[in-house]
Amino acid sequence: MIRIETAPWKIMVDHAKACFPRECCGIMLGTKDATGNLVREAVACTNIFPEARNDRFEIDPKEYAAAERKADAQGFEVLGFFHSHPDEDSYFSATDLKHSWPWYSNVVISIRSGEFNRARSFIVNLDQTAADEEQLDYPEN
Amino acid sequence: MPKVHIPTPLRQYVNQQASVDAAGATVGEVLATLTSLHPELKKNIYNDEGKLRSFVNVYVNDEDIRYMSKDATPVKETDSITIVPSIAGGRA
Repeated sequence: MIRIETAPWKIMVDHAKACFPRECCGIMLGTKDATGNLVREAVACTNIFPEARNDRFEIDPKEYAAAERKADAQGFEVLGFFHSHPDEDSYFSATDLKHSWPWYSNVVISIRSGEFNRARSFIVNLDQTAADEEQLDYPEN
Repeated sequence: MPKVHIPTPLRQYVNQQASVDAAGATVGEVLATLTSLHPELKKNIYNDEGKLRSFVNVYVNDEDIRYMSKDATPVKETDSITIVPSIAGGRA
């Protein structure tokens, strides 16, 4: 289970809206306990996918490394990543599966006509052959 | 000795350390030292053919080894090696 606090959730949704109709991407930082993951901070990242298209994203590895250092400094962990699906539902695509890491939460935000639709979260297995949905709790928009 | 920075989810395989010192003159040698010290890490970053998994990037300081000499990239005692997740995707 993953819960997202109000402040990071606003960053995530605002980033998804600002990037529309392109996909946004970012990194979630926070803490883990027996009840699951708690996202305390979100980092909006640059989509460095080399082609100008609206259906792909790629996180700059240097931004990941910086987020990891920030998490260490604040006593957080990198819990996972988020990206948007403009004018599509929130599902985990074959492209997502192929390019994601196991262990992390992957929140997919559906944005329709520039407005928030819904979000779901997925975790990839070690072989990158399947992704299971996990319970996601986020604030009302 | 070069220092290897470990991303959060892989720290479970290196006794929860954020970084590990590992000897070697090239990236390949350093990673071989690292995975011999922590065998559980090996199967999580290398595939069955002994190559780094596709979702694993390795940086020496701020440079991606894919654009240097890959495993043969030389490293100095003071260099910092970082294992970085390759994260991409999209609705396509």
